[in-house]
Amino acid sequence: MKLYVYCVAEDVETLDQPILGISGAAVRVLKLKDLSLLVTDLETDAVPVTGDNALADAAVVRSILDRTTPLPFRFGTVVGEEQLGNYVSAREAALKAKLAELRGCIEMSVKIISDQIQPEPRPQDPAQGPGATFLAAKRREILGDESNAARAAEVSQWLHKQLSSLIRNEQVTLRPTDKMILSAAHLVERGKVGLYREKLAEMRQNRRDLHFLLSGPWPPYSFANIELELKTQFGVS
Amino acid sequence: MDVAVIEEWEESELSLLETLDHVLNRGLVIAGEITIAVADIDLIFVGLNVLVSSVETAHEVLRKRPTE
Repeated sequence: MKLYVYCVAEDVETLDQPILGISGAAVRVLKLKDLSLLVTDLETDAVPVTGDNALADAAVVRSILDRTTPLPFRFGTVVGEEQLGNYVSAREAALKAKLAELRGCIEMSVKIISDQIQPEPRPQDPAQGPGATFLAAKRREILGDESNAARAAEVSQWLHKQLSSLIRNEQVTLRPTDKMILSAAHLVERGKVGLYREKLAEMRQNRRDLHFLLSGPWPPYSFANIELELKTQFGVS
Repeated sequence: MDVAVIEEWEESELSLLETLDHVLNRGLVIAGEITIAVADIDLIFVGLNVLVSSVETAHEVLRKRPTE
C-alpha cells in the first residue's frame, strides 16, 4: 500500500467535508509528529498526469486553505508510509519552521506579458550574400533578446517597488517566454490581499503597455522550499 | 480561485494552466529532483512518481478541458 501525499499542515484533525482526490479516491488526514498530512491510499506506485488528477490534487490542498496555510507537495508524490514517516521525522524541525514562516499567508501569482521588442530590420542590400543575410538576422535576434531582457528587468524592478509594502516574500522569474517577460509569485498576508488586488488594479491603469494575468489566492506552492530537501539529503545546513 | 484576465483567454483555460503550473512545477519533493515545464512544453521528469510518456502528453494535458 502506498500513499499519495497532497500537503502538510498544522492543526488539521479532520476534513470539513469528504473530498475526492487523485483518481476519485478518498482523502484522509494522517497525523505524524504533530503535523497533519492529507493523503490518499493508493494501490499503485504512480499516478498519471492528467488534467483531472492535477485539478484533484489542487482541490484537496485548497480544501483546507480557508483555515490554515498548507505546505503543498509536488504533484505525483507517492511514497510508502514508512518512507513518509522517515521523511517527516528527519525534517520535522524544518517543516515546522517553514509552516510557521508561511502561517497566515497565501500566494498570489502575477504574469506580465509585453509585446516583443524587435529592432527594425535594415533594408537588405541586394548584393548581400546568404552568409551576410544570416548574420544580419542573427544580429537582430541578439539585439532583440538584449532589449527584452532589459525590459523584463525594468518591469521587475517596477513591480517590486510598487508591491514591496504589501508582500512578505516573492519569487520572480524573468522572461519565461518571449511574450511573457515576467512571472512572479508573491507571498501575501491574508489581511492584505484586498489591498494587493487594489494595487494591481491601479498598476494596470498606469501601465497600459503591459498585460497582467493575476491569479490567486493559492496555497504557497512557490514558497515550499525545495532546498529544504536538498540540504537535508546532502547534510548541508 | 479568482482569476483576473486581461488577455483574451478564457477564464477556465487560464485557471487550468495556472493550476498545472503550480501543481506540476512547484511544491515539496520527497525523493529526487524534477523539472516539469508545462506551459513551455519541455516536459522532463526525474525521480518523481508520475507517468509522463512524452512531450505529447503535456500537449494533451493542456488541450484537455475540465468539462471534457
